[in-house]
Parts: sequence; structure tokens; C-alpha cells
Amino acid sequence: MLKVGSLVDEKYKILSKVGQGGMSVVYMAINEKANKTWAVKEVRKDGVLDFEAVKQGLIAETDILKKLSHPNLPSIIDVIDSDDSFIIIMDYVEGNSLNKDLEEYGAQPQEYVIQWAKQLCDVLGYLHTRQPAIIYRDMKPANIMLKPDGNVTLIDFGTAREFKAKNIADTTCLGTVGYAAPEQFGGMGQTDARTDIYCLGATLYHLVTGCNPSEPPYEMKPIREINPSLSSGLEKIILKCTQRNPEDRYQSAAELMYALEHYEEIDDRYRKKQRNKLVTFISCILFSVLFAVAGLVLKYYAQQIATDNYEMLLYEASKTADYEKKIELYEKSILVPNKAGEKEAYLGLVQTYKENDNVFTVDEANQITKLIKNNKQELQSDLNNYTEICFEVGKLFWYYFNYGDGADNQVTRAKSAVEWFQDVLDNAPKDYENKNMASVYASIGIFYRDITTNITEASDKGKYKPFFENIYSLLDSVATDKNENEIIRLELLELSRSAIQQYSTKFKGDEISKSELLDMYYLIEETVKDIMTTVEKTQEKKNSIILLLDDTKSAIETAYSTKQGEE
Amino acid sequence: MNFLISSATDKGTTKNTNQDSFNVRVISTSIGKMVFAVLCDGMGGLSKGEVASASLVNAYCKWAESKLPVICEKGITDFEIRSDWVSIATEFNEKIKIYGRKCGLLSGVGTTVTALLLTESRYYIINVGDTRAYEITDRVKLLTKDQTVVEREVDLGNITPEEAEFDSRRSVLLQCVGASDDVYPDMFFGQTKVNSVYMLCTDGFRHEISSHEIFNFLNPHMMVDAEGMKNNMQTLIEINKQRNEKDNISVITIRTY
Repeated sequence: MLKVGSLVDEKYKILSKVGQGGMSVVYMAINEKANKTWAVKEVRKDGVLDFEAVKQGLIAETDILKKLSHPNLPSIIDVIDSDDSFIIIMDYVEGNSLNKDLEEYGAQPQEYVIQWAKQLCDVLGYLHTRQPAIIYRDMKPANIMLKPDGNVTLIDFGTAREFKAKNIADTTCLGTVGYAAPEQFGGMGQTDARTDIYCLGATLYHLVTGCNPSEPPYEMKPIREINPSLSSGLEKIILKCTQRNPEDRYQSAAELMYALEHYEEIDDRYRKKQRNKLVTFISCILFSVLFAVAGLVLKYYAQQIATDNYEMLLYEASKTADYEKKIELYEKSILVPNKAGEKEAYLGLVQTYKENDNVFTVDEANQITKLIKNNKQELQSDLNNYTEICFEVGKLFWYYFNYGDGADNQVTRAKSAVEWFQDVLDNAPKDYENKNMASVYASIGIFYRDITTNITEASDKGKYKPFFENIYSLLDSVATDKNENEIIRLELLELSRSAIQQYSTKFKGDEISKSELLDMYYLIEETVKDIMTTVEKTQEKKNSIILLLDDTKSAIETAYSTKQGEE
Repeated sequence: MNFLISSATDKGTTKNTNQDSFNVRVISTSIGKMVFAVLCDGMGGLSKGEVASASLVNAYCKWAESKLPVICEKGITDFEIRSDWVSIATEFNEKIKIYGRKCGLLSGVGTTVTALLLTESRYYIINVGDTRAYEITDRVKLLTKDQTVVEREVDLGNITPEEAEFDSRRSVLLQCVGASDDVYPDMFFGQTKVNSVYMLCTDGFRHEISSHEIFNFLNPHMMVDAEGMKNNMQTLIEINKQRNEKDNISVITIRTY
């Protein structure tokens, strides 16, 4: 026995006796120079029956520990081997073994157990990765010291190292080997790292449930059958650690460590939470889809309603005889949401202007121009619509425009119409039926617009022949069409007639033969006489054309009686 | 009711020592004749298993001598027997543990125990480890349940009883007195049958012979006097040894009539 106050190895002063085992006494000692406490474990020859056997065990234990350095392992500082005692100087590990805690308090709190498990797993990982690997083989609460700081230290390497697959001819008792894994009884393959995994699993089971798996009924139930409030993640980990077949366990401490660090993720509650999140997410998606669909449906209905409104307004407009009312209704229908791009209301206006008094007034011109310009973008979304409207408005200008001073100036009208026909040509889809016609109107309009300037600049030569051809084509296709509006026919006839009268000489200059011009003249004469007029205005027009026919013919005769180039 | 008792033991073919210990006696009490039998199979290196088994047998015998008469006066109850016997096992678990450590036997010293109290009406059995108690009438009935790894494996359905016979772990005990952290004995109670044979034996006695053979030699008709009983048991021991049983072999029989 060492005396309190005595000095061991001239360094360690014995402070007190802290424990006594079956064969050893443990003292707390201090190295006064370093001011550090150590544990001094003394095994005395007279305290044991077979000192040599005990000593061999201790040497085996200390030889292992001396080579190791890990925060959760005690370090051996010194071994003093004398004839009648064997003294080990090692880290003084304060605290109790977890075994004692289990006895006193029963099952340990899960969070603590998981913390300890991680530390123990770290130690096992360290031991298993030594060269050669050290298999601890005796993980159990009695071998785990819980320090006051809450960390654990793995102690007792003697018994563990002793244990090898036993000579099983002799009776052995499981009680001596703690939570021995099945392979530790022999006949089940070698013990390896996975044996420690098993024992750690059994230890965790014991700690967290308070039930010792190496006592009757010698079983490890899923831990939540014992305490339903425990984590299902931890339950899965323990079950996997303690599989009978080493192949089915975690294959390394690192693998187990990963599981311990993520036990909450394999926890049912966690999964449930995640599942709830997923459900919420899916619900959000479903709702957004639902709302999108609802939105589309409602939009569709809104459109339907708008369409209904639009069509109702158009219908009303078409049925109203009152000019003002008609105009107002058509304007309203253009204002119906999403209907500004539809052609019906514009065409309705065009028709209304025409029908009102056969005069397209400046106010009316401003009104429809403004409406079309304001809604140009919507209208252009369907070029067929836009083109048709421009063409109709162009004709409106061409035939009906009355620009204010009362004088009916056909040339002015043609000029005003140019931009509309130009728009038709710029926007018309390839297969637009009136494209050629628009081109003719535009060309004629352009001719009239530019001819004065061209004459002044003496660059008019060559312009008359296309002009002639354009007029001829209009005359031939529109004016002779008996189904065409009489105003339009008469206007065209007058246009052609006046062109002949005014430009006979110019036509001649552009190498149009007299017979060609006369053909046109005769076509005018024949057509105009053939037109059946229905109103006074057109009758007047017809009469005025007929009256001027003679002058027109003589203009041709005059032009072609002079020599070319002379005027 | 009357009782014939007999016993036999052999250290077997390979071992130097016989670590089995047992005692069987007929006791006359205030409430009639009884038989008390106890059988322990010790284990541990350096022949210390013998010490363990003997000390436990002594402890139970001491109980039979000093405590049993007192209980008989009060009237025997299952509870009383259980309480006393489990305390003895627990006490000796600690004592033997300390003894083992002192011996420097880190792998432990321990012993099984099967004790039987046979009154005219009821039997009481405590069991730790793999020693067994049988009741032989017109058939062989096992009264105890082994506390062994293979027995547990059979219970868990991991192996069949047939596989258990040849399992390499068949001598690994779940617990024993002296080497378990805590000891949890099993208790068995039942009605004593007249004209029956009650047998306690160590695992060495039963590994190599079948229950059919046990019946052939130890059925009540073959067990009519103490000398014949002993001869029959010895015959079975010899059969065991011929079949290469290496363990110590011990057996106790009690014939009721």
C-alpha cells in the first residue's frame, strides 16, 4: 500500500486513495513540479493470488495505451514494475463510469447519449485506423467514464485485449464479455471493427433505454417499444449496429459517425416534417396551377362577356338608323376591352359615313383616322384586318372625301387616299385579294400628288404611261362592274375622262397610241351612258360627265394631230 | 411419499480436475420428508471453477440446514423460496467475482447452479446456466431452461433445436454465478409426481446421449433401488466417455414412490 503523502518515482506525491478494485488500488497523485494531477494504479503482489498473470494482463493493457493519443482515451505516463508491485501512472479521469449513472438514474437522456456516441465512435475510428488496427472488443457502460465536463473517456484496455475467439470447448459465460457480438463466441467468423460497432450499439441501447441487453430477457427491442418518445432515427442506428450478421451493420466507425451526425434526418418526425414541407410545397404548386387555370377560365369568360358586349354593340349599331347613335355605338364597341383590334366596328363606321350623306367629311376623317392610329398596334396584330380597314378608308377618301371648301376636287381626294393605300401595300399579307387594286389606287394618287412637282422639275416624262395603264385597269375592272356602287363607277369614269382631257398630249409623249386612248374614251362613253343612277347627286354627276365627253374626244384629236414633241 | 436418492460424477476423459460440485439429501421436516439437491458446474482457469461451484453448493446446503426448517414451520411458499435462493445466487455472484479478480483471472470465475427442493406435493427449482433438471415418468421432461446463447438463438428462431446440438457456441452461457454483472436466476415450480425420477445433471452428462437413452436407463421402472440407480447412471457416464465427452460429468437422481 502506498502511503498518502509518499512520493512515487520521486515525482508523484500521493494525495488520496480514490478507488479500490479487486486487485488494485487507485490513488490520486500530483506532480508538484508540473502541478498536474495523475492517477496512480497500484497492483500489489500480496493483493492478488497470481501476480504474474495479473501483471501480464496489465502489461498488455499499458503497452496498447502507451502508443495512443486521443482526447477520449487516458494516456499512460509511466509504468513502474518492481518485484512486489506494478504501478501505472496515468491521466486522472475524474467522474463516474456510465454504469454507475445507469444504476443511479436509469436511462440516460437521448441527447447526451448521442453526444457520447459520437465521441465513442470517434475513439473507435481512431483505434480501428491504427497500424495494426486495435479492436477494443469490450465496449460497455462500465468501461466508459463520464467526466464532469460531459465528455467521456474509454478506459480498461486489459480485459478487452485479452478477449479472443475463445476455446469454446470450455464453458464460458457471456457475463464476462459484456455485450459480446455473436461472432465473439467463435464459429461466426473473425472479430473486427464491426464487432466494436455491435458493442457500441448495445451500449447505446443500454444507455438510452436503461435495459441491459446482456441480462434477461437478453434482447434488444426497437428502443421506441421501450420508450416511444425516443428518436426513430436513433432506433434505426441502434438496430443497424446490432445486426447479427456483421455484413448488415455499419461497416466502419466513420459510417456510423455519419449516421449519428444525421440521425435526425432519418428520424420519422424529421421525415414527417420534411414530408409536410413537401406537401405544403405541392399544395402551393397545385394552388398556383388551380389559380392559373381559374385565371385563364375567368379571362376566357371575361373575353366571352367582352365578345358578347362587342357583338351586342355592333348589332345595335347596325340596327340603329340614327347617325349620331350609330357612330357612338361603333366607338363604344372599339372601346370594349381587347376588341380594339377587331375590324367590324371600323368597317361599320366607314359604312356609316358613306351611307349618311355620301360625303366623308373632314370631321369624320379626323375621327376615324384618330381611332385607327390610336389602335394601330392592336389592329396590326391581325394584318388581314388592318389591311382591309386601310383599304376601305382609302377608298372612302378616294371617292367620298370632302375636305371642307365644298369644291369637289377629285385630285385632292386621290392624294389624300395615297397614304391609306400605301399602308395597305406595306402591311398586306401575300395573298391579300385587293393588293393589286390598292397598288393601282396608290400609284394614281402618287401620280397626282407628285405630277405638279415633276412637271416643274421637267422630270415628268415616263410617268404618264404607268398612270394611263393604272387608270385603264381601274376603269376596266371597277367602273365597268355593274355591281359596283354607282358613285364609285361615276367617280372612276370622271377620273379617266378628266385624265384624257388633261393629259392627252402627255400620253402621246409617253408613246401611248391614239387608238389606245380612243379605246379608253369609248369605254368611258359606253359605260357612263349605261349607268343607271338612283339619286339626284349621281344623276347630276352622270350628266356632267356626258356633257364633257365631246371636249374630251376633241382633246385626243388635238393631241394626236400635232407632231410628237410639239404642244 | 418416499424418496430414493443417488448420484454419480466423473471428471471425464481430458480434464485434470472435476469442477462440478453437488449435494443431495433427504430431509425430515415438520411437514414431512423432502429432498434437497444442488448441482453446480464451475468454470474458470487455474482450477478456480471448483472453488466457485463448491462454495455455492455449500451456501445452498447451509440454507437447507438452517433456513429450511424455519420456513417449514411457517409454511413453504414459492415466494419465500425464490427470495431466499435468488439472494444466495446474487450474493455469491459478487463474492465469486471478487475472488476471480483476486486470482487475476480476468476472464472470470463462475459456476452454474441447479437446485431442487422436492416436497411431497411440490417441487422448487432455481437455475442459472446450463445445468438441468429433468422429470422422468413415462417420458423424459426437461424442467429447466438453459441460459445459453444457443438456447436463446433457438428461442429467437435463428437456429433449430437440431442445429443447436452441434452449434459451436453450445457451451457459451448467457450468465453464471460469479461472472455476470448481475445474475438473473430462473425459477421453476410444479407438482411432485409419485413413481417418478427427478434428475439433475451437468451439460457433460447430456451432450453425447439422447433423451431416449436417458429414458431407457433412468425411467422409474429401471430405478428401484439406490444401488441400481447408481449403476444406471454410471453406465450412462461411461457411454458419454466412449463418445468422447471431454467435460466433467455429474448426475443426481431422486426416485419418488
